[in-house]
Amino acid sequence: MVMPTSQIFTPWVIDDIHTKADLGRYRLRGFSTFQKVTHFDDLTFLSTGLTRFPLEGYKEKCETRTVIGALNPETPLVLDTPIYISGMSYGALSANAKTALGKAATMVGTASCTGDGGMLQSERDASDKLIYQLLPSRYGFNPSHLIQAQAVEIVVGQGAKPGTGGMLMGVKVLDHIAEMRDLPTGIDQRSPARHPDWLGPDDLAVKIEQLREATDWKVPIHVKLGACRVTDDVKLAAKAGADAIVIDSMVAGTGASPEVLLDHSGIPTVPAIVMAREALRELGLYGKVSLIASGGIRSGADAAKALALGADAVAIGISALVALNCNREIPESDFVSEVGVPAGQCSNCQTGKCPVGIATQNPELTARLDPDEGADRVANFINSMTMEMTLLTRSLGKSNVHSLEPEDLAALTLEASAMAQVPLVGTGKVFGT
Amino acid sequence: MTYTLDADELSIREINKRLKQLSRTGAEIHIVNSRARHNIIVGLLDRCKITVQGSVGYYSASVSDGPEVIIEGNAGWALGENLMSGTVSVTRDAGASLAAGMRGGSVYVGGSAGARAGISMKGGTLLVRGNTGFLTGFMMQEGRIIVLGDAGESVGDSMYEGTIYVAGNIGSLGSDAKEEEASEDDLIGVWQTLEDHGIDQRPAFKKIVSARRLYHFDSLERLEMSAV
Ligand code: SF4
Repeated sequence: MVMPTSQIFTPWVIDDIHTKADLGRYRLRGFSTFQKVTHFDDLTFLSTGLTRFPLEGYKEKCETRTVIGALNPETPLVLDTPIYISGMSYGALSANAKTALGKAATMVGTASCTGDGGMLQSERDASDKLIYQLLPSRYGFNPSHLIQAQAVEIVVGQGAKPGTGGMLMGVKVLDHIAEMRDLPTGIDQRSPARHPDWLGPDDLAVKIEQLREATDWKVPIHVKLGACRVTDDVKLAAKAGADAIVIDSMVAGTGASPEVLLDHSGIPTVPAIVMAREALRELGLYGKVSLIASGGIRSGADAAKALALGADAVAIGISALVALNCNREIPESDFVSEVGVPAGQCSNCQTGKCPVGIATQNPELTARLDPDEGADRVANFINSMTMEMTLLTRSLGKSNVHSLEPEDLAALTLEASAMAQVPLVGTGKVFGT
Repeated sequence: MTYTLDADELSIREINKRLKQLSRTGAEIHIVNSRARHNIIVGLLDRCKITVQGSVGYYSASVSDGPEVIIEGNAGWALGENLMSGTVSVTRDAGASLAAGMRGGSVYVGGSAGARAGISMKGGTLLVRGNTGFLTGFMMQEGRIIVLGDAGESVGDSMYEGTIYVAGNIGSLGSDAKEEEASEDDLIGVWQTLEDHGIDQRPAFKKIVSARRLYHFDSLERLEMSAV
């Protein structure tokens, strides 16, 4: 006999209540939200037919070169592909993982980003184009590292936990991490949510000028926002003088976040891009201030759709880690005994027990990740994504990924039509306008 | 060599550019007509002596490593922010977020400072001759804050480490901060700092440190515990 079960009190809701009853606090998790939200799969490209003709998928030139932050600095960030690796801290990730990501970025002509906790020298050495983050914590922030950066990113918020600071459980705060961050070893680090030296957008404008002065006006200054009140936030960041704005959505990844924020705050990537694009357009800055989207970019199709909606580039986090073997059983690992779930279901980055040596500081585990081999895998993955993008772009009859536009898209669901502001397939109507 | 930069005739960008060039030669530099403009003296990574005749705005003597800066006037927000080494002193008052995220060196304020003095401080010494506003030493991580006057509400709130000494009254202690008795050695160290700044007072101090009750979550899930 098969009995129905509650759709509200599902088995994992029941387990969650049991766990919190034991624990007496909110739960933490890595990876990303478990909520099902409107995403890029709800959009489809309208490739060519008789109204326009395609380019040859493998042969004809299709430009992917991407320039970020050309508004003010002497040397904008020039990438060979519109896909770069987003900020993930040394601390959340192992040194091998950070080095592999930096190396992979260099191999494909793109950038990687420091994340919280300061600059790791081996990532700096590996990554030709390194984005240096300035976070509320200011852990390890050093003007001598700042001037080595190819771009600076002021982090106002993170999509996975907007409105809070970083988090690193004590199991990962070993001596070397504690020293870089000027923290006591082994504490459960809960970083500040607000910047220590500025509060509102007027102060931010002065802060941006300060960073320009410190870097001799050479490199772009990005502002990263957790996607919530996107329209207002983007306008304020642009007015404060950002060269590029990164919109990090609710589906973006994390090494450790309170589950309640992961699943119950922020908005998805698709509407976030559209709102940001319109906000910049209203200010006359669309196409001048670069727009970077992050959160749940898993393939060249996702990246192409993000560009079609209005982004100039995308940043990948979890996807790059998955390319590094996150959630894959390798000869040295045993997911079930090490993190309690089979490979494919792991979201336990916060525990520091990563079976594949990525999200850990345990030397036995980090040895499971070879930075050179990892770099090859991530570089292959980004190359695959770029090829997928150019294939789609050519099928739309275009020779530059930056020529993709909303008109190239249709929505497969009513919600996606309303959020992406493109017609619902079969109706010719944009809903929600 | 001594150089004078007239801020009335130069943009902030030109001032900082000239400062960077001159500081490499170890020169002594006077800045006149500063008129409380923001971002005067930013990103200097060499040892040099700079005197500003007048007040400065936000972020003066910030994200720097090594300079000796004297400001003869008032300073706006975030004076000495993220200082790595060197000395910064202002003869009169300083605004909010004084020495935010400072990692080394010393910052001295002859008058009083606003809210959040020494916020997220990671090293070095901050000395305020007058009073400080609310949240002095908020989320401080290392280093010393010495206040000769009174400190406002929530002193040392959420501090990880470091020490705050207050000679006057304390509005209230912040969350996870506690007062403990200053030892003889503590006092000798603080008095020495006072002497270094030409202050001949030898007052008693309240010593505020982290109670360390917020270091860890009270409970952990099985997988979050340290043993693999
Ligand atoms: S495999 Fe490692 S990186 Fe991937 S989710 Fe698990 S702990 Fe995190």
